Amino acid sequence: MTTCVTFSFIVRLPLPRRSILRQASQGKLLGGGRAFCQCSSWTWPSQVTSCRLGVTELRGIRTEGNQLIIGAFTSHAEVAASAEVRAKIPSLARLADGIGDPQVRNRGTLGGSLAHADPAADYPAAVLGLSATVHTDRRTVPADRFFTGLFETALEPDEILTAVRFTIPQRAAYAKFASHASRYAVVGVMVAQYPGGVRVGVTGAGPSAFRWTAAESALTARFAPESLAGLTYPADDLTSTPEATADYRAHLLPIMTKRAVQTALG
Amino acid sequence: MVAADDVGVILNPMIVDGQMHGGLVQGIGQALYEEAQYDESGQLLTGSYLNYGMPRASDFPFFNVGNHPTACTHNPIGAKGVGEVGAIGCPPAVINAVLDALAPLGVTDISMPVTPEKVWRAIASAQAAASTRD
Repeated sequence: MTTCVTFSFIVRLPLPRRSILRQASQGKLLGGGRAFCQCSSWTWPSQVTSCRLGVTELRGIRTEGNQLIIGAFTSHAEVAASAEVRAKIPSLARLADGIGDPQVRNRGTLGGSLAHADPAADYPAAVLGLSATVHTDRRTVPADRFFTGLFETALEPDEILTAVRFTIPQRAAYAKFASHASRYAVVGVMVAQYPGGVRVGVTGAGPSAFRWTAAESALTARFAPESLAGLTYPADDLTSTPEATADYRAHLLPIMTKRAVQTALG
Repeated sequence: MVAADDVGVILNPMIVDGQMHGGLVQGIGQALYEEAQYDESGQLLTGSYLNYGMPRASDFPFFNVGNHPTACTHNPIGAKGVGEVGAIGCPPAVINAVLDALAPLGVTDISMPVTPEKVWRAIASAQAAASTRD
């Protein structure tokens, strides 16, 4: 049976014209980068409508108090090169610089990556670890309620992700064990220290990005690699693929967390 | 990485170097990355470059290639051919290097491609075998 794949590119779609989006019942709003390439290469889902959102107000990076705000249509390359991101949250700039390859970093966007919610994408670890708030055209969603499952988010079908507010940490680092084939995270960990405690955002390891609360408690008590000694994560909850079994991911998780802490400490 | 061969009389050195580079990449790819994996029902699991480990330029060091040409006596121009020559010696060279690194941990054998998880499992089973002996 032939799978019919429909791609529609709608360039510079004005935000109010949501009626177009409602027609895309199985559609997802992507930026045109990593996730879009992946969907088209898998011919999945069977009907894909990708709106290439070119709206300028969704682009850009600015600081407000202790928050770094990045527009949904800001590319990975722009985040990686931004002097503002490098000054406020250098680990986020480095994370963006490690996504895919240069072509993907130039086309892919923060909003597209989050809306797609690939379980191995890098940004979800940052959104959870850096205590972010996801802004849409109608509401704000805290990071902890945004990722709801495998490729699933709290977004409604016609809801447009507009920006993400990251809380600037005292220190943070992202450590990623990348797939050789895809450069996606087999296990990626963002560790961030705040006055109120430490947050550990994990991607790649499970069916959806999650926070490793046991590691957070241990690191809040003392922010040092030794605090993680003996800490394990149950493999039952993790993903098995031909490239990396759940056992191996469970082995990698504390190691990558420890590396992130070491990097954060400098 | 250093490689040398005898490809007979060389007519175009640049193409010969390029073929040797490509052969080395092919050999290292076989040793470390590339695998056609199937599940029990015969479904190909590594059907796209998202999960098939194609070797890429950024995976490799610079190559230092040399030649020691001796003319072939069976054809008028003395050439022997250079297609994929680097692919022959590379897999054993890479696997020997891996086993040399793992020898202190008791690992004596490993299969291609040597993925990170295979190395981890090889170390774990060697240590389990050692603790059984103790």
